[in-house]
Amino acid sequence: MEYKGCSPGGSVRIDQACEKVLAELECDFVGLALQNTDGPDVKWHYAAGNSNEKYKRITVRYGKGIAGKVISTGRPMYVDNFPDNIAGKALEYPIMLAEGLKHAYAVPIHFKGIPKGVLLIGNRSGQPVSESRQSAAKEAARTLEKKLNG
Amino acid sequence: METQPAKKNISSYIIQSQEDEIKRIALELHEGVGQTLYSLFTGMQFIQTAVDQPEMKDYIRDMAQMMEKTIQEIRLLAVELHPPALGTLGLLPALKSYLKLYTSTYGIIVDLENEGKEVQIRERERITLFRVCQEALANIARYADTMSAGISLRWEPGQLSIMIKDKGKGFDVDAAMKSSAGIAAMMERMLLINGKCVISSKIGEGTSIDITLPLY
Repeated sequence: MEYKGCSPGGSVRIDQACEKVLAELECDFVGLALQNTDGPDVKWHYAAGNSNEKYKRITVRYGKGIAGKVISTGRPMYVDNFPDNIAGKALEYPIMLAEGLKHAYAVPIHFKGIPKGVLLIGNRSGQPVSESRQSAAKEAARTLEKKLNG
Repeated sequence: METQPAKKNISSYIIQSQEDEIKRIALELHEGVGQTLYSLFTGMQFIQTAVDQPEMKDYIRDMAQMMEKTIQEIRLLAVELHPPALGTLGLLPALKSYLKLYTSTYGIIVDLENEGKEVQIRERERITLFRVCQEALANIARYADTMSAGISLRWEPGQLSIMIKDKGKGFDVDAAMKSSAGIAAMMERMLLINGKCVISSKIGEGTSIDITLPLY
């Protein structure tokens, strides 16, 4: 299986798309994770508003971390007021720790109808992700889906 | 007559029981559940070859694949709980393998240095040293806000010194000692094996954790 977004030209398009989401949704961080083509692990491929490059090295197992959970369940996930009110330990949320996020909303991105990626928007300040921003993130995920599916 | 057991003995007993239990669960997952699943997996592969209906064949193949993933998950979980390298190969290989997992999970690069030759130490001490390093690294991932860290091991005659350093944001050690049990537990764990754990940190400059263990 091949994601078009991972091809050299496609990655520029996806980068731009992440920047656009960051500007339109007025959030602090936007990240796009994709399941590896040669295994179940999930990696963060693109980011905008990132405070460091740690996301590039983070790989989570299918079903683990926000990205792994969203892909395995195929459902959006909202993390509010991290690290309070979370299920499990803070260490199970590597992208929140790496980017110092307090609130995050992650939606699945489908590839040929199967959840294979995650679009995450997050805030570092005390600003929760409002319902309207959550809907906008879903919309943005659909747009990205189209780009990835070519 | 002394009827009250010493506090040190109680802490030691609790920590030891917890470690024994973690090891038991890890072993049970690996040797028990993992092995049983593997037998089922090979059985399924056999059934797959014996079945003629293509739809049924596909269904069994999917189930076998799912089982293979589950076996892998169980193995990884067992390794995460109690690294087998700690019992078989020693502290340094166990740390190296943990650091790989650590970097790929948190994106933090850890530079490992080893000076001198690793000597055999008791399993209880190996586990304690490993857990203290694990806690120190977990704290870096949680609080330090840094891209890199360093860990150096020095094996000297009569003493093992481990230093874990980061140039992250640092913290007030006294305040953290009062509010978080994690740091106090690191020190307590080291005391129980007659070792020492000294934590120094400066806000804005980073943290250094020095662990020493006498070797006999």
